[in-house]
Amino acid sequence: MRIRTPKEWEIRESAVTPESVYRLRNRRDFLKTLGLGAAGAVFLRSRVLGAMAGLPAAVNPDYMGAGLKVTPYELVTSYNNFYEFGTDKGDPVVEANKGWKTEPWTVEIAGLANNPGKWDVEDLVKKMGGIEQRVYRHRCVEAWSMVIPWDGFPLRKLVDFADPKPGAKYLKMTSFADRQRDDDAGFGGPYLEGLRLDEARNELAFIATGIYGKPIPNQNGAPLRLVTPWKYGFKGIKSIVRMEFTTREPFNTWQHLASDEYGFYANVNPTVDHPRWSQAHERVIGGGVFSGRQATLMFNGYEKQVASLYQGMNLRKNF
Amino acid sequence: MGWGETLFRSKVFIWILIVLPGLYPAWPILRQDPTVLADPLKYLLHHFGFVACILLAAVLSLTPLRVLFPRWRIALALNRHRRLVGVSAFFYAFIHLAFQFLHEGGWPTFFTDIRKPFLLMGMLTFLILLLLAVTSFNFMVRWLGGRRWKNIHRLVYVAAPLAAFHQALAHKLFPVQVLWIFVPVAVLEAARIVRQRLKPAAAPVPAPSRG
Repeated sequence: MRIRTPKEWEIRESAVTPESVYRLRNRRDFLKTLGLGAAGAVFLRSRVLGAMAGLPAAVNPDYMGAGLKVTPYELVTSYNNFYEFGTDKGDPVVEANKGWKTEPWTVEIAGLANNPGKWDVEDLVKKMGGIEQRVYRHRCVEAWSMVIPWDGFPLRKLVDFADPKPGAKYLKMTSFADRQRDDDAGFGGPYLEGLRLDEARNELAFIATGIYGKPIPNQNGAPLRLVTPWKYGFKGIKSIVRMEFTTREPFNTWQHLASDEYGFYANVNPTVDHPRWSQAHERVIGGGVFSGRQATLMFNGYEKQVASLYQGMNLRKNF
Repeated sequence: MGWGETLFRSKVFIWILIVLPGLYPAWPILRQDPTVLADPLKYLLHHFGFVACILLAAVLSLTPLRVLFPRWRIALALNRHRRLVGVSAFFYAFIHLAFQFLHEGGWPTFFTDIRKPFLLMGMLTFLILLLLAVTSFNFMVRWLGGRRWKNIHRLVYVAAPLAAFHQALAHKLFPVQVLWIFVPVAVLEAARIVRQRLKPAAAPVPAPSRG
């Protein structure tokens, strides 16, 4: 008889709170935290895409987010860093929903892959064999954090689908190109991110096509974005149009903007400070003025899953 | 006396102008703006720092305005309020620092983080403003003597660039607001220096405000 040892983050199926209940609870907690009572929280104009394949998704029991308090949907979809649509956190929810088309959408697989080509995003998602939901911590390099239920599929499935050639060492990802928006953001080109191939194949690396069981809103990176919960949020490139397998380490956008402050790895690490602020603690979004602070965990609490990727590396140098 | 001059001479009017930015955050919080409520502490921290910078730039521009436009009555009227504006810049900086203390979650992290140039420059700015606020009372002016008092208060020309540096680093990317707050006052100060070099006799000696 095979005895299955549950992983340390697993909780029993019977202990799982149905989604509708935790959403209610969190909405109430959110209002309570604000201490502002009766008025319903504001649902902002987050234009939601037409149904994407497989939503709402079944929850992956390995990533139920036991012990985590999910950030209210209203905050996840109205407090965004998406500089192509403005540098204020409140800009993207407005600016990304003024006729920006994320449907139809084409994703290109390129570089050292045996299966290159261009795919319509819906067809590509269908090829990934179903959508699942995972609750992940999300830690921004600006020292704030959320907990988000993402819907999507493991990045590993996409890597396997692309079938990288033996020489491929990195996966370089590019966001949509819009000269005006990229200039306004100060990027000098489309947003760029990258992962080492073994990072891309890690079980945590995820491509999100939805949040909270709904298609992902434009301001959160429609129609598909990267989620790497052990890294700072800026690694999670939004609205991906191209995935290229390369031999050289990609030079990501934030390295281009300030290479002394932002690196290629961007692993969450409470012992390596940002030059201007500490990374030892984080402000919990929705936590109010006095109760929203907690210690930051090594690799954002995912040490067990990812620490082996960086064995023997100097994390102070490779920040 | 024109109505503009009457208005800007009025202490009540200037008080209202100074107090309003302090009450402003109540508005997004009451209407439950999710972007503000997501991290209210960060919002308040940045808001009060921003107001402190504006008031610091404002008080610095008063003397050059008077020197450059000696017959402009509104500039003269505004110069009655130099102490009030200067002390309010300190007061907003103090609230900003209090929120920074909350943001840091207490003394231990406050003291380890203060070593970072970004935060250190902010702290230095605050200490200078504190010194100027403490010495702003009439009896302090008398006790120190006009010349010494004036030399101490020249530290404001150190505080302003420090504040600009601090504000420029406060966001992930360079915030353009730093330019529209501090460039005009830099231009005014430069013009005033040129003016005083050209016509040294015509330039009035800036005296401590007795408001």
